[in-house]
Amino acid sequence: MAKLPLEGIRVVELTTGAAGPTVARVLCEFGAEVIRCETRLRSDGHRGEDPKLWNKKPDFMKLQRGKKSFTVNMQTPKGRELVKELVKKSDVLVENFGLGILEKWGLDYPQLKELNPSCILIRVKGMGCTGPHAADLTYGPNVGNAMGTTYLWNYPGATTATAEPRTQHPDFMGGVTGAFGVVLALIQRKKTGRGQWIDSAQLEIGASLVGPKYLEYSVNHREPKPEGNRSLIAAPYGPYQCKGNDRWCVISVYTEDEWERFASLLEKSGLQRDERFATHFSRVRHTDALDKWVTSWTMQYDPYEVMETLQAIGVCAAVVQDVEDQFKRDRQYAATGFLVKMKEPEAGDVVTEGVPIRLSETPGKVRGLAPLMGEHTHEIAKTLLGLSDEEIKKLDEEKVLY
Amino acid sequence: MEKVSINGPLSGYRVLDLAGPLGLHCTKLLADMGADVIKVEPPCGDESRRIPPFKDDSPHPEKSLYFLHFNTNKRGITLDVTKPDGRAIFLELARKADVVIETARPRGMDGLGIGYEVLCAQHPGLVYASLTPFGQTGPWRDYKADNIAGLALGNLLYLAGEPGEPPLQPPGEIAYGMASTYGAFGIAVALYHRLESGRGQYIDVSMHECAAHIAGYFIPNYGYTGVKPARASRKGEETDLYDPYPTKNGYARIFIIPVEQWHRLVDWMGRPPSISGPEFEKMAYRRQHPEIVHKAISEFCMQHTKEELYDEGQKRRIAVTPINSAGEFIECPQTKAREIFVEMRHPVIGDYLQFGPVTRLSASPGAIFRTAPLLGEHNEEIYCGKLGFAKDDLVALRSVGVI
Repeated sequence: MAKLPLEGIRVVELTTGAAGPTVARVLCEFGAEVIRCETRLRSDGHRGEDPKLWNKKPDFMKLQRGKKSFTVNMQTPKGRELVKELVKKSDVLVENFGLGILEKWGLDYPQLKELNPSCILIRVKGMGCTGPHAADLTYGPNVGNAMGTTYLWNYPGATTATAEPRTQHPDFMGGVTGAFGVVLALIQRKKTGRGQWIDSAQLEIGASLVGPKYLEYSVNHREPKPEGNRSLIAAPYGPYQCKGNDRWCVISVYTEDEWERFASLLEKSGLQRDERFATHFSRVRHTDALDKWVTSWTMQYDPYEVMETLQAIGVCAAVVQDVEDQFKRDRQYAATGFLVKMKEPEAGDVVTEGVPIRLSETPGKVRGLAPLMGEHTHEIAKTLLGLSDEEIKKLDEEKVLY
Repeated sequence: MEKVSINGPLSGYRVLDLAGPLGLHCTKLLADMGADVIKVEPPCGDESRRIPPFKDDSPHPEKSLYFLHFNTNKRGITLDVTKPDGRAIFLELARKADVVIETARPRGMDGLGIGYEVLCAQHPGLVYASLTPFGQTGPWRDYKADNIAGLALGNLLYLAGEPGEPPLQPPGEIAYGMASTYGAFGIAVALYHRLESGRGQYIDVSMHECAAHIAGYFIPNYGYTGVKPARASRKGEETDLYDPYPTKNGYARIFIIPVEQWHRLVDWMGRPPSISGPEFEKMAYRRQHPEIVHKAISEFCMQHTKEELYDEGQKRRIAVTPINSAGEFIECPQTKAREIFVEMRHPVIGDYLQFGPVTRLSASPGAIFRTAPLLGEHNEEIYCGKLGFAKDDLVALRSVGVI
């Protein structure tokens, strides 16, 4: 089997939540050995509070798959000493606790550099490690609030504060961006032999994708407003209702060629063309009438029929899929094997997202299940930390390796 | 030839950028970290020059704020790679590059004679990334998909918006953004591998699959439980976990997970009897009684401004944030303290605030050092300075629309 590109890179993870674990998860898929430090005294939010369910949580599976679990009590001096020993033998430390905790444990960058000058530290924070709000308590959605996307994610003229869904995209985008930063630091280390630290703020990563909105403010001196599904460069554009309960298909027509094929198709099915839709300019000016005209066609069909029919004539169309569709009707995921099935000893059959990029020489892969709580504690204590069976037994009894 | 020395981990790497909107954020991530990104535009200009917003709403090719944001730090040349002379020039450029990025339809570059096989044969160290809607394989590979199509298939769109209303696209192109970010990560991994092996490779990025990684935990949850979430209303049916609460001046959000955070919130509110009972300590119970919880928290929030709630809530270790506008984000103390925006000047747009690098490496941080290129701005610098063309050659190439 081909060697994975990050084989030989050891990552120690001191994290909770999603963004930090995602950094290490992405590195793990490309060969890094990830040692997740955790404790039974205060289980991760994604494992949950109930020990009986620690190994049965789907979100934990997504975030922690392929890693090793090393249980250690950081409240004890011995526990902190063991983690420092691990860090001495590692290449990367990923952390995303509240500001101040890593400092207390003696692992912030000035102290880490003394232990292991070639180690790379990434600190994943909602607001970053500096500034008056560095110590804020934030979850993924808080970040969207601060950067303006919660406000902007809405229908034009809406009276409620937001229509954003229950997702935390800055967590996942931040995680992948963080992994990118770590690999850059590894490239730099090849040149200099030295490590460095990365101040990763989900706030900035999320906000950088709405950059043009901030330019509206700084160049045009006005506050951007929620725009809903409006577009000036495509018409038709947006979700169109289809046959069925709450079924939709998005359609985007950008060019006059695409429009000609689209309109001919609708005409053949018996709909009359309207002169207001003759040009892109005119279509944009009559969006409401256009949308009504398109919907009178889409409502007759299942959304997949709309998608396949339009794609067959070279028009961009995509079903607004729910998660069941992703499993059962997405032919592309089925063909590429994107949904990875594994057997979990306690939870049974589980499914998780695959690696969405394919490198021809050094492909990544989902390397295994999420670890059971403490699954690798003794193995790591013995092989990596060089502790004897007796010492391990004592540390177990003292609840240090706990 | 212009020499700019940036202390970034990718300083010294040259990237040929043929990417459309799907890959703009990818090459921006590389350029901000020091790579010399050469944006190759068709002589009529990149399509992203036609994307709004525009300065003063005037749709001039040099006034697109979208283009400005995503192309800072890149150099720009014009080249028609579909013409024989253009192809020859591109092959020459690719021989001297470390990375090529394109977003053409699968095999589109092969059709032009500048696909991976041709470029790799002349330069085995080349890292070549194709960012496409569906990747290079599978039944949908030739289908078209823009950002909203990626979000639609990835389940994110279905979940956004009010029940009974159409699904609602987010601000910012986050399906393009995730594909770009994964692309940049893949390129970094390939460059790291090349330091050891000396060999480049081909990278196939699927926006469709990247989009599935944004939506949260729904795929593993469904795999475990078969539960299918629907669009959830923001009108108070969900409580405390995600609700925005009205304040004196707009909205704030309070996000409560562990029970101690609930205790802190109730103490802060002065223990109103309606929600102080021990049964409310359980999130499940709070969710079963949204009207009571929402009413109590809303009444409390209405007595304060969102900034007051933010400052005091965070002091009490509760995850409160104001719901900011774009301008409030730019003006807020955290943004200013971290110097997220950099003052820049563009020859047509004038003074503006450019978003800085997001990957903050302590020893090799990268920088914003150049505004977005004017159309063909670096033709002479690159064609004459780097490939050895004479100025007369440029006139000849221009006359037939090659550059």
